[in-house]
Amino acid sequence: MRTHTVALWSVSILLLSLGSYLPGTAHAQDVDAVRQELTAVRRQLDSIREQYEQRLRELTDRLEHLEAQRRAATPASGQTPGSPAGPPAYAQPVPLTAASLAPAAPEPSLRETLTPRQPFALAQPGRTLLFDIGVSGDFVTDFTSRNRERRRDGTFAGRENRFFPREVELGLFGRVDPYASAVVRLSAGEEAAGLEPSDRSLTVEVDEANLTLLTLPLGTTARLGVMRPRFGTLNVVHQDDLPQIDRPNVLSRFFGEEQLEGEKGIEAFWVLPLPIYNELSVGAFDGDNEVAFGRGTLRDPLVIGRWRSFFELEQHGGLQIDVSAASGIATDAHRNTVLGLGAKYKWGAPGSGFPLFTVAGEALYAMRTVTTGGADTAPPRERRFDRWGGYLYGQWDLDRRWAAGLRGDWTELAVERGREWAVSPYLQFKPSEFLRFRVQYKHSEGTGAVERVANEFFLQGTFILGAHPTERF
Amino acid sequence: MRAPHRLALGLTLAVVLIGGILLALPAPELAAEPPLRVLTTLPDLWSITRAIVGDLGRVEVATRPGQNPHDLEIRPSQILLVKRAEILVRNGLEEDAWIDPVVESSGNPRLLRGSPSVIEASQGLALLKIPSGRVDRSLGDVHPSGNPHFTLDPGTLPTVSASIADGLARLRPDLARKLDANRSEFLALVEARFQRWREMLAPYRGTRVVSYHDSWPYFYRAYGLIELGVIEDRPGVPPTPQHLVSLVRQMKEQGARLVVLESWYPPDTAAAVARLAGAKLVVIPQSPGAVPGTGDYITHMDHVVKALAKALADP
Repeated sequence: MRTHTVALWSVSILLLSLGSYLPGTAHAQDVDAVRQELTAVRRQLDSIREQYEQRLRELTDRLEHLEAQRRAATPASGQTPGSPAGPPAYAQPVPLTAASLAPAAPEPSLRETLTPRQPFALAQPGRTLLFDIGVSGDFVTDFTSRNRERRRDGTFAGRENRFFPREVELGLFGRVDPYASAVVRLSAGEEAAGLEPSDRSLTVEVDEANLTLLTLPLGTTARLGVMRPRFGTLNVVHQDDLPQIDRPNVLSRFFGEEQLEGEKGIEAFWVLPLPIYNELSVGAFDGDNEVAFGRGTLRDPLVIGRWRSFFELEQHGGLQIDVSAASGIATDAHRNTVLGLGAKYKWGAPGSGFPLFTVAGEALYAMRTVTTGGADTAPPRERRFDRWGGYLYGQWDLDRRWAAGLRGDWTELAVERGREWAVSPYLQFKPSEFLRFRVQYKHSEGTGAVERVANEFFLQGTFILGAHPTERF
Repeated sequence: MRAPHRLALGLTLAVVLIGGILLALPAPELAAEPPLRVLTTLPDLWSITRAIVGDLGRVEVATRPGQNPHDLEIRPSQILLVKRAEILVRNGLEEDAWIDPVVESSGNPRLLRGSPSVIEASQGLALLKIPSGRVDRSLGDVHPSGNPHFTLDPGTLPTVSASIADGLARLRPDLARKLDANRSEFLALVEARFQRWREMLAPYRGTRVVSYHDSWPYFYRAYGLIELGVIEDRPGVPPTPQHLVSLVRQMKEQGARLVVLESWYPPDTAAAVARLAGAKLVVIPQSPGAVPGTGDYITHMDHVVKALAKALADP
């Protein structure tokens, strides 16, 4: 079309030029020859114009046809799908006013109003977000007896016989610059708040907010900020990634339900230049764990060290062993030192990796001094408690979707007199990598300060939205 | 001050002091001593890189032969491999995104993504199956940048091997000539075999086939096979019965002759689809080394092409 327009203009200019030129040279030119040329040019012009108009008509017809199709496919508000579409809007005489040139926003239909909308977009096509965002939701139900609910001594204390959000987590992670990466995890979850059955609160916490320095010399990697310190096997695992619905009893008794989480401090680790994998980590923290190390000051820091080794066994197996130590001051101003020994073995079938068999266990030994007595009859005196406990579990992943396992727990209480054991079979179903359901039965028996027999039935649903770090061994 | 307190304070001070000294030390220069120490993320890249490096160094792979990279979990031994390597060759299309946290745990900053020591093999390729429109997890574990199984088309090797050889030569200019000679030799071998593979599959050009996982679009393009559908229509999510019924009907209508299953997936669903549609099931490894005697690119592709040709030739 553009070519035709240019051609028309060129011919017009040529004619004008010829027109202005002819009078001055009329005597020298053969008038008949010029007329013939002019006639030929006119014919060409007419032909071009006809072609141009024909093409324009075709395009207009095509446009009208498409517009009619579109209108028929999406009937206007109040028009039933079967009713005639009516003439296209552009066929109506429309006054060319400023208002008509700027189309007014159409009124949303009821259906449009009720349709959920994406509230905002962080990343748009062609524009890449410079860090990853992931959301995980972990919902748990703890069915147990009325007695356990009344005494609030179930595994999820204060939330017995409830469906509750254990942890809904927003994770932001990525590279800060060529030298560092960072992670921020905010979580919200329901917790028991007071002594009354209805005393519960939804608390939001900063689980992690730390910077990892990646380019330090001598192969050093250092983290600073709020973090889950490298202690033992399961402490570094987030709630939604635990192998069972609840944390093993020994970890809950020695460190509380969420174990060592949200510690503030600095941690450095090294992968040692040896033929097999050996990792050494050392960290110093405020000590904010109220159960074990609640001093909360760097004047009495919580110091944690871990050595972890890994052995590739045969072609499809692997064994990890870790030894940990944590030493800090408890809220009663006495030192508490906890030693840990963990092991994990996995074997996966050749090819698909399934079935996958996992055996793992961990034992903790705590040395703690506690002040007892202090009443009128007896002077206060310091007593040293040496307590230990452990867990062992086996899991059989039949395929990507189905897995079953069994965990056994045995532990002494950290300070009080008493001990407990438990056995927990469980079943797992994963429709995809990002969605998981579990059921778990737990039978517990305790003596001393935890004198009870408890039968609990847990249900869990976990989802992951967006980015999520790759699973680790 | 009590003894435990002094101990704790002493330990903290020691950590801070050591950290301070380490921070103050200058970063060691990139060691330039031979031989090359190269790590690749996946077996296909390992086979290509090994052919280019030859006897100029050692090439290791972070995944086990025959292991499904989609279900991979990070093993500490991979961290050790990263720590030892000076150059990393990766796919570059999310297929091996798991290597990022491995590198971050290794204390080897030379292999962090974006570093000159990291070679992305997919650079410069015309990629297939780049999803358009809204991309989210309802599509499964989809690769937003495009299908990553490009090495299954031998026609991509000139570009892939050029990326690898150029990356290696950039870091070790002293080896550039030898690397280039190795690459040329490798490409000549591949080209000769590619011609033979094309001849073997030439009678079946235009044949309709169905894959279990979406691993083979580059392979089909190379040999003129037509992908009628994919059983696992959303990657990483088992197919729905409705999809399978629809696929079987389509296979019957259009005469699909073959169902291709990667050896690391369970055969039940693919076998059922093949049986219902009257097609054949062929189980083949997607990467080198999964089957004994297929440790390099040529023997692997030879195995794949022969298996397909045999399955298609049988009445």
